[in-house]
Amino acid sequence: MSDELDRIRREMHAVLQPPGVRPDDSLQITRRTFIHRSLLFGAASVGQTFAWWPLLNTIDVAHAAEAPFKFAWISDTHLYERSLNTRFVDKVVRAVQEVQAMDPPADFLIFGGDLAQLGKIEELELGVELLKDLKIKKYYIPGEHDWYLDMGKKWGELFGQPNWTFDHKGVRFIGLDTVSRGPDYWTAKKMTPEERMGHMATLDGTVAGAWAGVGREQLDWMQKTLAEWDKSKPIVIFSHNPLYEYYPPWNFWVRDWREVNDVLKPYTKVTNIHGHVHQVLYNEIGSMRSIGMLATSWPWPYAPEGVPKLTKPMIRVDPGDPFDGVGWETVNVNADDKVDVEYIMWGRKEVFVRSPEDHDKSIEEVIQPRIADRQYPWENP
Amino acid sequence: MINTSTFLCILRRSTVAGAVVAAAVVVGPASANKDPVTPKQLKLYQEAFMEEVRKGDLLFHGDAAMAEQLGVKLSTTGWACAMCHPMASDTHPHAFPKFQQSMAKFATLRDMINWCIEKPNQGEKIDPESEAMKALEAYITWSNTGSVLVPGKY
Ligand SMILES: [Fe+2]
Ligand SMILES: [Fe+2]
Repeated sequence: MSDELDRIRREMHAVLQPPGVRPDDSLQITRRTFIHRSLLFGAASVGQTFAWWPLLNTIDVAHAAEAPFKFAWISDTHLYERSLNTRFVDKVVRAVQEVQAMDPPADFLIFGGDLAQLGKIEELELGVELLKDLKIKKYYIPGEHDWYLDMGKKWGELFGQPNWTFDHKGVRFIGLDTVSRGPDYWTAKKMTPEERMGHMATLDGTVAGAWAGVGREQLDWMQKTLAEWDKSKPIVIFSHNPLYEYYPPWNFWVRDWREVNDVLKPYTKVTNIHGHVHQVLYNEIGSMRSIGMLATSWPWPYAPEGVPKLTKPMIRVDPGDPFDGVGWETVNVNADDKVDVEYIMWGRKEVFVRSPEDHDKSIEEVIQPRIADRQYPWENP
Repeated sequence: MINTSTFLCILRRSTVAGAVVAAAVVVGPASANKDPVTPKQLKLYQEAFMEEVRKGDLLFHGDAAMAEQLGVKLSTTGWACAMCHPMASDTHPHAFPKFQQSMAKFATLRDMINWCIEKPNQGEKIDPESEAMKALEAYITWSNTGSVLVPGKY
């Protein structure tokens, strides 16, 4: 781990995890979010990470359900125009059909961002057209790929306000915009909208910087939204980026996670569900638990460092099968007040690693940021 | 004990050394690596390498202009190498050559690069000796600098 990341990681744990702080103890761990019980009670070595204990059942967002219900999550479809790439279209069609076929039906769908690949009007409209076949209520939050061609203009016309809140059967749901507050990297360099989008659309780019954030005014809005909410009642927060720090070089974080934690600290039953990482991810930060969702388009590899210890990693995928490593999710709120996240990964019956060799990080690697989007370092001794 | 300049002096006087120097004068560049390397040379070598790394980086990230310059079509799906391999992660150049399950054969990194171009990217396979291939190889290995060789590892 780099010194800088190590420093931040230590700070994060000092800030967020003072002794004894965890998500509410009445919560249980779902078999489907698959965290390792032994890891909840202390640090574990890498070896232990693979020595799985029997898995427990379901996350309990206690007091949630007045009646059992389910909702579905789809994100990171990264649609190109249909003429360029039909595979991504096929996968959205499949996800939509499967959500539509849920029985009993999902109460609603959350679309978690990155509908488009390059933020084009045609791409966003294609997404709307494909999702039209899904007849349930739909809620959208933006991803960075949707935003930086026209700074959210088309997205706003199609989907309205990027952050929102509603209550459903005893749970307060909040959608956040974690993408629109990137630092201005384009004006001084006189970039075209396409160039601006190109840098934003490159996960490992070095130009767009630390773009993921919630922002002061949205934090204030969230605080106001939660002010009247009972501290022990469940809250589910949707965001494109994870609300903690996993791997900043790929914006697998929000830069203001400290402030987010300040707002959420008083609430004991907070679940964050996020996209962007295109991978199975689980973490507990302070009193919040956080679950990363699959993309329909393609899986990102786990970052070279910073994967939360509580994550049971997804299986290394077959790059020859476009339906492997991707899919969608159902979130089931049961009659006994438990919330259960189920990953639907098309290429697999077994979503999670069974052995170290099944993990994409079974071969250790040291990698570094790209250079072609920077000045040559060797020209500036 | 013998100091460096005396040692060089002795070499130059010997007939064997004399012959080598004479041959080197005839064939030219062969003499270069008989002389101590200069900072200027080091800079040139490094620049030659980094220029290929830069080209490979651009190809790897789907840069259309660089693909055209090198005469290759690495993708027809909009997909670029970096979309599954940010910072060239999970390319594992330090694990090749190895038996590669996806190809069902013993494979080199170049084989793997061509497989990815052909299958997921649906592009056109490139000549293993082409500049594009060497540039991709340069970028991938450079980005994995510091990774420990584990040839053959799954
Ligand atoms: Fe995405
Ligand atoms: Fe994203």
